[in-house]
Amino acid sequence: MKAREYEITIGPTGEVEIHVEGFQGKGCVEAIRFFEQMIGQTQELRHTSGYYEPDEDVTLHNQQRH
Amino acid sequence: MSAVAIIAPIVVSSWPAISAAVASAAVSMGFTVAREVAQQGLNQDLRAGSNTVTLDVPNCSAVTGTLGRDQRIQLARDGVNVEFSRDARGRDSVCVTGEGLTDEQLRAIGDEIAGRTVQHYVLAKLKSEMAGKGMDLVEETVEQNQAIRLRVRHWQN
Repeated sequence: MKAREYEITIGPTGEVEIHVEGFQGKGCVEAIRFFEQMIGQTQELRHTSGYYEPDEDVTLHNQQRH
Repeated sequence: MSAVAIIAPIVVSSWPAISAAVASAAVSMGFTVAREVAQQGLNQDLRAGSNTVTLDVPNCSAVTGTLGRDQRIQLARDGVNVEFSRDARGRDSVCVTGEGLTDEQLRAIGDEIAGRTVQHYVLAKLKSEMAGKGMDLVEETVEQNQAIRLRVRHWQN
């Protein structure tokens, strides 16, 4: 089990800022989409360093040949 | 942390959901709910002898199939009366009346209550949908600027 964390700030005029934590790779985009469908329309999306890490369900195999 | 998103709310709701948000916003701003009524025509008794401004509520509309009659909820605070209404076509508006206040002051009150209504609608919707998905609300705080901050945890495989 993995813990996903969301910090959601609802401004006094209703605009929503969501920080998505605990994801690696593009899983965070799915999480944002879940909130978008619930609330409205995404105006701005910024990826932090975790976005560029490998997706969690992808297994990488490295082979070295000499 | 993986991403930060800014989402602009779109409110499409039935009258009970929006009136609940109005009442919740009103209480947070120190207003009391004077009454909730469904009637034709504007309530003139609130407006006699006072300045009045009327504003549309942006990004707010009725759920299709719930239209057909005017509905309104009236709020009061320190001589200021606010009427939040939805007309038969589903248009939401806020009418603010107050003696001794300028149009600009009344407009500021109307803008604030319209915004806070959307805020409380979004809060109620988020709580309801997140509970349905098994997400845990671990913290809820109100910031100095009246923003509401939620910390949510979700355990997933």
